Amino acid sequence: MTSFVDTLVPILPEVIVTLTACVVLIADGVLPRSQTRLVLPAVTVGGLALAFLGGPLAPPPGQYFGGYVQIDTFTTFFRAVFLLLAAFATLVAPSYLDRRGVPAGEYYATICFSTVGAMTIALSTDLITLFVGLELMTIPIYVLAGMQRRDRFANEAALKYFLLGAFSSALLVYGFAWLYGITGSTRYIDVATELQRIGLANGPTIVALALVTVGLGFKAAVVPFHQWTPDAYDGAPTPATAFMSVGPKAAAFAAILRILVTGLAPLAVDWSTVFAILAAVTMTGGNIVALVQANTKRMLAYSSIAHTGYILAAVAASSAGPSATAGVLFYVFAYGLMNLGAFACLLYFDTVGSRGATLEELNGFARREPIGALAFFVFLLSLTGIPFTAGFVAKVLVIVPVLDAGLAWLAVFIALNAVLAAFYYLRVVVHMYMYDPETGAPMVPNTRLLSTALGISALATVVLGVVPNSLYEWALQAANAVSLATR
Amino acid sequence: MTIDHILTLLLVVPAIGLLPLYVFRNDPRSVKQVAVVTTLFELVLSLVMLAQFHAGEAGFQLVEEAAWLPSLGIRYLVGVDGISVLLVPMTTLLTFVSVLYSSGGAIKERLASFMAAFLILEIGMVGVFVSLDLFLFYVMFELMLVPMYLIIGIWGGPRRIYSTLKFVIFTLAGSLLMLVGIVAVWLVSGDEGSRTLSLPELLATRGRFSAEFQFWVFLAFGLAFAIKLPMVPFHTWLPDAHVEAPTAGSIILAGVLLKAGGYGFLRFALPLFPIGTQLWLPVIIVLSVVAILYGAGVSTVQKDLKKLVAYSSVAHMGFVTLGIFVLNAQGAVGAVLQMLNHGFVTGALFLFVGIQYERTHRRLIADLGGLANRWPLYTTFFGIFVLASLGLPGLNGFVGEFLVLLGTFKFSGVPLGGLFWGPLAAIGVILAAVYLLWMFQRVMYGPVREAYRALPDLSPIEVVCAVPLVIMTVALGVFPQPAIAIIEPSLQQVLRLATDPGYQLAAR
Repeated sequence: MTSFVDTLVPILPEVIVTLTACVVLIADGVLPRSQTRLVLPAVTVGGLALAFLGGPLAPPPGQYFGGYVQIDTFTTFFRAVFLLLAAFATLVAPSYLDRRGVPAGEYYATICFSTVGAMTIALSTDLITLFVGLELMTIPIYVLAGMQRRDRFANEAALKYFLLGAFSSALLVYGFAWLYGITGSTRYIDVATELQRIGLANGPTIVALALVTVGLGFKAAVVPFHQWTPDAYDGAPTPATAFMSVGPKAAAFAAILRILVTGLAPLAVDWSTVFAILAAVTMTGGNIVALVQANTKRMLAYSSIAHTGYILAAVAASSAGPSATAGVLFYVFAYGLMNLGAFACLLYFDTVGSRGATLEELNGFARREPIGALAFFVFLLSLTGIPFTAGFVAKVLVIVPVLDAGLAWLAVFIALNAVLAAFYYLRVVVHMYMYDPETGAPMVPNTRLLSTALGISALATVVLGVVPNSLYEWALQAANAVSLATR
Repeated sequence: MTIDHILTLLLVVPAIGLLPLYVFRNDPRSVKQVAVVTTLFELVLSLVMLAQFHAGEAGFQLVEEAAWLPSLGIRYLVGVDGISVLLVPMTTLLTFVSVLYSSGGAIKERLASFMAAFLILEIGMVGVFVSLDLFLFYVMFELMLVPMYLIIGIWGGPRRIYSTLKFVIFTLAGSLLMLVGIVAVWLVSGDEGSRTLSLPELLATRGRFSAEFQFWVFLAFGLAFAIKLPMVPFHTWLPDAHVEAPTAGSIILAGVLLKAGGYGFLRFALPLFPIGTQLWLPVIIVLSVVAILYGAGVSTVQKDLKKLVAYSSVAHMGFVTLGIFVLNAQGAVGAVLQMLNHGFVTGALFLFVGIQYERTHRRLIADLGGLANRWPLYTTFFGIFVLASLGLPGLNGFVGEFLVLLGTFKFSGVPLGGLFWGPLAAIGVILAAVYLLWMFQRVMYGPVREAYRALPDLSPIEVVCAVPLVIMTVALGVFPQPAIAIIEPSLQQVLRLATDPGYQLAAR
């Protein structure tokens, strides 16, 4: 008989992150204020690193925890993504939290809790595990968004995010209930088998699928379920924005892949047209609105919607086989790195009373902060999809399955959208590099840690763009793993 | 002397130069020295490469290969043949000239960044001409874009922001569609696990490309090249970019970047998609002739010296596409020579317009005049390049245009026939004489303005910049045979592939 400890071994990384969050909270209470500033982020990053190292200790691929937990390369891949993003979001935050008087201990702990939720989604084999993970991920983010209690915009952000998040969770859980009602099970595999028998062409199945799609669409910010995104991203504290623009989105795609590739596999082909149209609408909608934004933070918020569209295009191409899933995974990884980095670059401009930066405030940034500007430049090139960046390889790896699935029109859509996006991304570069600094524009002091974190991640973006092979192989293995789970 | 891995070395040397550039970034003197020495070394290296090349052979030489993205079958594959082997030294020479000229005081701000942009640009340009894998080619094609975007946007004229964004957006629109085309080629190139983007392998499996597929993919590739070249009606970014770019940027833009378009047609579009070529050929020939006449006509009425040279580029590039798509040896050899000639001559014209502008701060033709009396050296050099540009026999411009026209006359695979389009294109040569000589007369002769009396003639650095370009202009004009001997065998092979009877339209 296996002991309780043995059952915990497969989810060791999740356990470590949970414990890290608790340690951070205790340390925050015990240590004197003067020490927390450095100790807390160090403990957090240390814990996340430990969790990352704990992954390989886990037993071989298989189902654990009474069959509610699936450990495979897909799980490991997403664990790495979430841990990396959490560590990055921790490293860029300290000076901001100091300046704005945001309680540091709570910030780091909340990030950790949310990360545990996201990781839970990736290892789910069951609609209930998935839902628990989803809520565990989202609820801390409502808190993160509203952590600056006295800031009107943060309040608006938190409230909007909370209301729409609750609404979408309700839709999703309702959809799950329908699925359970139709198939008599919450396990993906049983749902899949049963749906295969019943087929798509009946009222209840369509209702269930529509509810699930809309619910996940809200979580991933798919047009037309995206309206909460700009306000929530714009109002939240910038480090929190950086995290919430990537973490929950990556998790939403982990959920979509788990459900779609495993649970709804028999219907994937019928369903993919819907996803293809949603993808086209999402990327175009996000880009067009981003085009007219004068505030960089809002612009990035809309552009992140466009990126949802690109990722969704690969989801729609699921008939191309594992390369589609691998495309999603690679894109999610690259997007996490570059989008978090781009939002974090706005931290240089975070003076009291400002939210993000207007394009004018960016004038001459390259002269004032060369490293930060260069990092931002790299992230923007990557978001545009220029070669020698991770974002370029990601775009290629999305176009590959899209064409393979016979969706040539969608591939052309992606290309044209990338041109649209180039316009507003490069406009930021214009302001940073091609205008002279405004005299006396305020700058944030104490940015050494921020510059280091951004420099490293910009370098990582370039390295992944030059030698992407290992990451792609890994993504491909993960993709094979998730499609194997069907059988 | 033979150097192994010389093509890779050519791609690495500019990157190595970036390091000392960064170390000495705050010392303008060292920055200049590092940049000049790096580009000079690159130039010498490219000449060694040319010496190692065996003229008269059609296939790829100096080939190097390494795994890059093995899970997708994408490789680092470089090599040169007769078409590309001359374009590489042209690139390195023009880069050297640009860097040398810029180090003479034309660039005053952020010098280290400027030189760094040029070195990265050089990697991209050389990379475009030596890549034999479509993925590598695409990556290099885009690598040229970012530095030029910065060069125009940071060191350009008053309307630089508008111009540079227009340049980037236009180019990206074309190249991203080409990316879709490249992925499509990859998918069709083989069954799962054996897919490839390497040109030699694709040529072996091109039988898999159906006629409909070729129609669309040729369009995707062709748009990218047509915008880069630029062909009418995609040329509108060019005058803006040229007018605002700093002199060195204009030299490279006209001298090298435009060639990437023509080269792309020859290297990839023609041999890979013979049916696509047949299908689109009439459109391209008509657009080429339109470009020749339109470019020449618009040049005639330009008031701005730089715009005049820019529009003349549109006309000259029209000869390149015309020569390529008449699908015979004369036309194609003429087109490649025209690319080389245009690189040296128009690069030089932009250099001299820049030299003049730096002294007078005027670019409007009406504001200039009488400079010949004051600047004998300048007038001599500028005169040679103007004459070469208008196609005077004995200078290089003549050879290319003459061969292209000859090829066009012989060509019958287009509605109305080559005997209709050839003479029409020839009118462009006459118009070139009109606008260039008229410009030269208004700028150089007549009464000299008081303000210009004290301005100095060419400086030693400027002479050093101009001399190699003059040598090439005269050498290729008087004695084009060695160049033709290098170019022709490879071109013949491309033409054989493009006109392969197995892939004619009837085969649909």
